[in-house]
Amino acid sequence: MIEILSASALATVQDLGRLGALRWGVGTSGAMDPLALAAGNLLLGNDVDAAAVEVPVFPFQVRFTEDGAFALTGADCAARLDDVPLLPWWVGEARAGQVLTLGLPRAGAWRASRAYLCLPGGIDVPAVLGSRSTQLRGDFGGHEGRTLRQGDVLRAGAAESGAPVGGFGLVPPALVLPLQVDGVPAMRVLPAAEYAHYTEASRAAFWAGEWKITSQSDRYGYRLAGTPLEAGANVEMRSHGIVPGVIQVPPGGQPIVQMRDAQPSGGYPKLGTVIEADLWRLGQAPIGSRVRFIETTWDEAISALDQMQAWLANVQRLVALYRRQQARS
Amino acid sequence: MRIDSLQQLSTWLDDAGIGLLELRGPGVLLRLGRDAADAAAVGERGAAVPHQERGAQSRGVAVNAPSAGVFLHSHPMQSSPLAPVGTQVRAGAPIGLLQIGALLLPVCAPRAAVVTGLRVPHGTVVGYGTPLVDLDPD
Repeated sequence: MIEILSASALATVQDLGRLGALRWGVGTSGAMDPLALAAGNLLLGNDVDAAAVEVPVFPFQVRFTEDGAFALTGADCAARLDDVPLLPWWVGEARAGQVLTLGLPRAGAWRASRAYLCLPGGIDVPAVLGSRSTQLRGDFGGHEGRTLRQGDVLRAGAAESGAPVGGFGLVPPALVLPLQVDGVPAMRVLPAAEYAHYTEASRAAFWAGEWKITSQSDRYGYRLAGTPLEAGANVEMRSHGIVPGVIQVPPGGQPIVQMRDAQPSGGYPKLGTVIEADLWRLGQAPIGSRVRFIETTWDEAISALDQMQAWLANVQRLVALYRRQQARS
Repeated sequence: MRIDSLQQLSTWLDDAGIGLLELRGPGVLLRLGRDAADAAAVGERGAAVPHQERGAQSRGVAVNAPSAGVFLHSHPMQSSPLAPVGTQVRAGAPIGLLQIGALLLPVCAPRAAVVTGLRVPHGTVVGYGTPLVDLDPD
């Protein structure tokens, strides 16, 4: 069990998302960096989609109220267990009473903005509509349907999975599957239904330009700033279904990328969609940083997803081997 | 196992840069070390067990590779080494990492000590039992 010590840190309980609920008008929710969440779970021997705490604001502190293993993935935030430094993307063991502190994310080899704290068996909260993710629009799911507060107590789903002495960790996927253009983090994008409505110059500028993630960006969506995108003619549409990753262009020409807490429908024209396999890259991009977009195809998008799944499968295999070997010795 | 296979095995160990081979089977216990001192000091669990240095550094201990892998001085996300020469480390602190594919295993200080030497460069492929870090215990 852990007790949240930080006040209003905007942290939430998330799993891989509430998939299949869009038909009821219920958005996806889930981890902004699903790869980090899945990897943290695998380090503990959990199912990939077990619930964890997503931390977007630092410093963040929890106290362990009983002994237990934990895993930390996502941003490298100079974590400490009491006064002992912890490595990023690492599984460790805490004693009752110890305090885990996550500091400000460090730039390092990968600039990320969210950390994931995983516990054995996942965070034990009720599944609602098939998921333990916090649905902030509907005030349900996660821990009491809201962001975590000081004094909240979260229980681990399994008593103890144990971590080998000294712990162990993973090379973060951002270093193994890097994607950059001219040194700027990049995401692959499929052109969407209204792509052709934009002027040739605007389309070219979309791919060629850097897009700044403005301070009006959160789990609902990222508002980007760059060269305004112009449609050749006025595009008027009725509201229609949208999913995380969809890039909408409101009348001002500054795009919005829908993120995990996006509403399930919208009426702005869609220029493109960030592919599912690259949403974690955008989910980790800090406010104020710049990103680039790379035009891709359906086949490439599918193969990128396969590559991500292959990385996870490989991690699962290696972790299981190492845990078995440690248990034997 | 035939006794004349040993020659072949030790040649392979030499070629692969592996310091120690331990083989257990029904009625068989084989322990082949390139350096007699290394072999004698590796404990039952085969973990990173310190061994007494022979010669001048009588107080020093070397920490050996707990597994084959790529020895890293620093975490892949960080540029500064975990324990450069001169660092005071506490017992159990990671002083280096062994990378095996996606996995990172810690090379831990067996006791509180000062790091006095790094035996192999960052990014070197090392075999099981290879001495990696020299420590001077407090």
